[in-house]
Amino acid sequence: MSKDERYDVVIIGGGPNGMTTAAYLAKCGLHVCVLEERVECGGACETVEVIPGVRIYPHAMLMYAAPAPGFEQLELHKYGFRMTWNPIDMMKSLSAGNTTTRGVSPITEKDMMGFAKLGGVLGQPPFTKELMRAAFWCPPHPPEVEVTDENVPYMQVYKQHQPDVWSHELREWTMFDLMDEYLESEPFKVTMAFAAWASGAAGHWEGVAIPALLCVQLLILPNTGKMSIPRGGLHGYFHAIHRCAVAHGAVVRTTCPVDEIIIEDGRAVGVRLRETAASGGKKIWASKAVISAVDYQQTFFKMIGGQHLDPGFIQKVKDISLKNGTLYVSTFHTRKPLQWNSKFKAMTESETSVAGPFNIPSGGVYPSDSRELYYENVADCDARKSLPTLPPEKLMWFLTPSQAFNPTDCQGSHSKGHISAAFEVNVPVPEYQVEGPEAQNEKKDELDAYMRKAFSEALDGLEDENIIHHWSATGREVEFRNTGLIGGTWCGSRHCSDQLWTQRPIPELARYRSPIDGLYTCHQTTGHPGALCLMAIPYNLMHILIEDGIAEPGNWWYPSPYYIPQEGKVSAIPR
Amino acid sequence: MATEDIFGHMFEEFPDESEWDVVVIGGGPNGLMAAAYLAKAGLKVALAEARYEIGGGLATEEILYPCYSSNPHVIYHMMVDYMPVIRDFNLDGPALVWIKPNSQTGMVFEDGKSLLLTRMIEDTKDSISKFSFKDAVNFGKIMRTWRRIVDEIVAPATYVPPMSPLDLTICMQRTEIGQEMLELVEQSPLDIITDTFENDRVRALMLYASCMWGLDPRETGLGFFVPLLLTRGMNKCYCYGGSHKFASAMAREIVKAGGLILEHAPVSNIIIENGRVAGVELAEGRTLRSKVVMSTLDPHTTFLDLVGADNMSADLKEAIEGWKYDKWSYYTLHIASDEPPHYKCDDPWINETFMTVFGIESTDQLLAHWDNVVAGNISDNFGGHATCQSIFDPTLSDIPDKSISFFQMHAPYEIGGGWDKRGEELKEAILGKWQKAAPNMTRDNIITTTFETPVDIEIRFPNMRRGSIKHGDYRPIQMGCFRPNQECSSTATPIEGLYVCGVSTYPGGLVLGGSGYLGANKVAEDLGVTKWWKPTPEMEKYIKTYLE
Repeated sequence: MSKDERYDVVIIGGGPNGMTTAAYLAKCGLHVCVLEERVECGGACETVEVIPGVRIYPHAMLMYAAPAPGFEQLELHKYGFRMTWNPIDMMKSLSAGNTTTRGVSPITEKDMMGFAKLGGVLGQPPFTKELMRAAFWCPPHPPEVEVTDENVPYMQVYKQHQPDVWSHELREWTMFDLMDEYLESEPFKVTMAFAAWASGAAGHWEGVAIPALLCVQLLILPNTGKMSIPRGGLHGYFHAIHRCAVAHGAVVRTTCPVDEIIIEDGRAVGVRLRETAASGGKKIWASKAVISAVDYQQTFFKMIGGQHLDPGFIQKVKDISLKNGTLYVSTFHTRKPLQWNSKFKAMTESETSVAGPFNIPSGGVYPSDSRELYYENVADCDARKSLPTLPPEKLMWFLTPSQAFNPTDCQGSHSKGHISAAFEVNVPVPEYQVEGPEAQNEKKDELDAYMRKAFSEALDGLEDENIIHHWSATGREVEFRNTGLIGGTWCGSRHCSDQLWTQRPIPELARYRSPIDGLYTCHQTTGHPGALCLMAIPYNLMHILIEDGIAEPGNWWYPSPYYIPQEGKVSAIPR
Repeated sequence: MATEDIFGHMFEEFPDESEWDVVVIGGGPNGLMAAAYLAKAGLKVALAEARYEIGGGLATEEILYPCYSSNPHVIYHMMVDYMPVIRDFNLDGPALVWIKPNSQTGMVFEDGKSLLLTRMIEDTKDSISKFSFKDAVNFGKIMRTWRRIVDEIVAPATYVPPMSPLDLTICMQRTEIGQEMLELVEQSPLDIITDTFENDRVRALMLYASCMWGLDPRETGLGFFVPLLLTRGMNKCYCYGGSHKFASAMAREIVKAGGLILEHAPVSNIIIENGRVAGVELAEGRTLRSKVVMSTLDPHTTFLDLVGADNMSADLKEAIEGWKYDKWSYYTLHIASDEPPHYKCDDPWINETFMTVFGIESTDQLLAHWDNVVAGNISDNFGGHATCQSIFDPTLSDIPDKSISFFQMHAPYEIGGGWDKRGEELKEAILGKWQKAAPNMTRDNIITTTFETPVDIEIRFPNMRRGSIKHGDYRPIQMGCFRPNQECSSTATPIEGLYVCGVSTYPGGLVLGGSGYLGANKVAEDLGVTKWWKPTPEMEKYIKTYLE
């Protein structure tokens, strides 16, 4: 067994947050080690070739990160970052309409103008990038600063660029309230709300109207108005980040799960690996910082333990809510391609919703009839049952946007059949289920059959005779595969106003510091803005690591223009 | 207004045109090695891989989705003890952990008897003596010679450029062990095994271990492979975390040294300007310009598809067109189960064995099965080898305490009845045979399965044409200085700037770490770049004894 090792910084977890942080810190000249539990880094940014020639994306499949300063600061293009641009632009991709039980409901002029206005597209000049960066790429204000309508970054952007949108209510509204003000048709609003729910911030939560709407818009507007994706999907994007880290000297160790964060005199000084780690159960020491890029449960309850934390903190961490549901994803391998059924003729004729040579249906929320239906789905998901109780015809599901324009994409044809786009349904989080966390696994076959029935409301081709494979993973399976996706939640802890911004996930952790000196958190469950593989948490964390004298970046660094330094600390604004 | 004016400029992408010293096509073990050596030598290196992940056959993937990963391709690393790349990049320990179990290859028979090849020679002799004391003694004796043949000649020669058969014969005359090797060359594997052992079951195991990777049991001219495959077959290593870890470790060396890796980057064309190489065009439209291109692909793809027949001599074209792919491929059934297989046999060590052969009862049956495969059939007399990977590597299962195994057998690319039908049938037949050998392998024990046919191998790795894991058959006229042909076996080709260093070039496949290493040496020499690495001590001794 090799001897103990020492680094400046040890990062636990080689997902997008851990690896981006490694890239930033290695670029600052720090000696960094990333420890990943699985054989391959990437976390949720992964591609799996389930059978030869057939690939699926078990988790991240859409590109939300376009405005990230990381592209420029880490120069990802030098490490092979490429996009595949969707030939279809925003107006067209919105024009297909929304799928309801009555058929396709058109999107109105008011819907489109309202959507564009809130996204900064109609400003003079347009301010989309600035708005997005303000909302996601800025660390929460320090605890001594009172959060006001004047200093919330996205409020500042609206006030400057689109003052008629700025109002006190903007910070209090739900996304539905906001949409009622600016959009027109109910199915469009319901579709947006559902897409936000699947992206981590729901349409009905108080005070998160703008973040919730912007998460949906991140898919389209910053990708120059097109629903485009990186070449190779999100794992391709991750590769560029990974290689940037390695090129700057970061050491990456796979198959190295961490069992314990070593704490001496209240300070994190290193980690101890699990006995099954590739390098055995040895210790890896960190001179400057340990950064946990895994979830709060593993960090505080498994790797640290109660003796180093006070009961008040433990209670708050225990109470962090995961109740935004688990995304239950289905991908189908079929003999004949799936097709929108006759009610959705308009979808069949739209090039955005049946893309590629095999006309794979894609891009729709069904049924998007009304917010009452949306609420019924929310209530059912939060009801802690292992299986939905709604009749299948009422189940809301999301068929991901077409990526068939991308030759590297998984959707498409295979010598032995056709691969569908991914179907996503929000189902209860396993650990909240009254029947116990294993219940969903035990009823997986039943659940799969229920899903197929629900999808058959709008699509033909899901009969047993036509299906070769139905790939799916329950929340329980998700949390075993990717231990950081606790509860099987894709987006981490609930992005509600009580767990967002300076409250994310609890005020004590909001600035990525922890009660343990030298221990920082950097994971979608533990920091603003949360999920979506944005390179945002690492960028925001950089401000804090500069404040604490750990990172000293070169002149490639620039902080968020809305960042407020903490009193008594080094400012992250270069002098 | 342009879209960028509306939405703002967001990010840069990798440029449409870029300049490199060396472009490597293919991110399998040889491409990775070649790129890593040359990048560390200070050259500007770009590697283009068609798949979504580098590694080629060094793959560890969640093919039993969700939660269970397997090594769909490479698992038994035979040359870890000799490979220069592991030493030169100090991969042992810091980046890679190798597991080399003592129980290496077992064979179980229907009557409950078993045979075991072990890393430690006396354990093998103990096992053989259950059948024949004489064979056990002979095994011990012959292994003394065979180990020397491998250690002193065959293994170090793997990393030294090939010689013509005549030169080789002259050089080998210098030592007694060299002469013994030459004698072996002229015999067929079947002759060597039959002459050495008297017991039929012992012969069956030895023949299986010698020929399982594609040696023709009855062909003469490659007899030196028998000592190599037997001694290395007793020293197989498992890469902890899966074989892909080996690929990742090399990829990080490339990037650390400033090299670039592009995945999802199939090459559509090798650019030839004024009769020499000028770079490659990617299918996505980007161009990587360079004076040196190293292809690790199969000969047809490199020369006929990417270079184009117009850019080469008639002789070269003819040589490429005459290339023969592997005589057989593989069918593999992967399984996740609650329990590992417990074999019903007289030796509990079989349950911890790296590779367990079952279904083969005699030499005749084994030969009949192979003849069948070569003729395009698989009948009920099939046998093959199984490995329970999770015994050595619990990390393959995301759910604790579950088992992941596979069974692999020789199989034709084209099968009577077609793979669509036969694939499912064989799965059932294998499960039946497996349960006979290991009674706990019941349907209740099995969580999930997936199988891969030779056609699937080609789909996953298009360069393994016809499922050829070695990119071309092991036959005397395709080995040594004839691999892939006399003009190209040094890795340099008649096309200036084009090098070939995949497994279709000397020394060949099975993750020897040879072709990529030799390609890097050749390119470094041709470009006048200082080599930062030195031959291993074994290579130095071989060069001194036979080549100076």
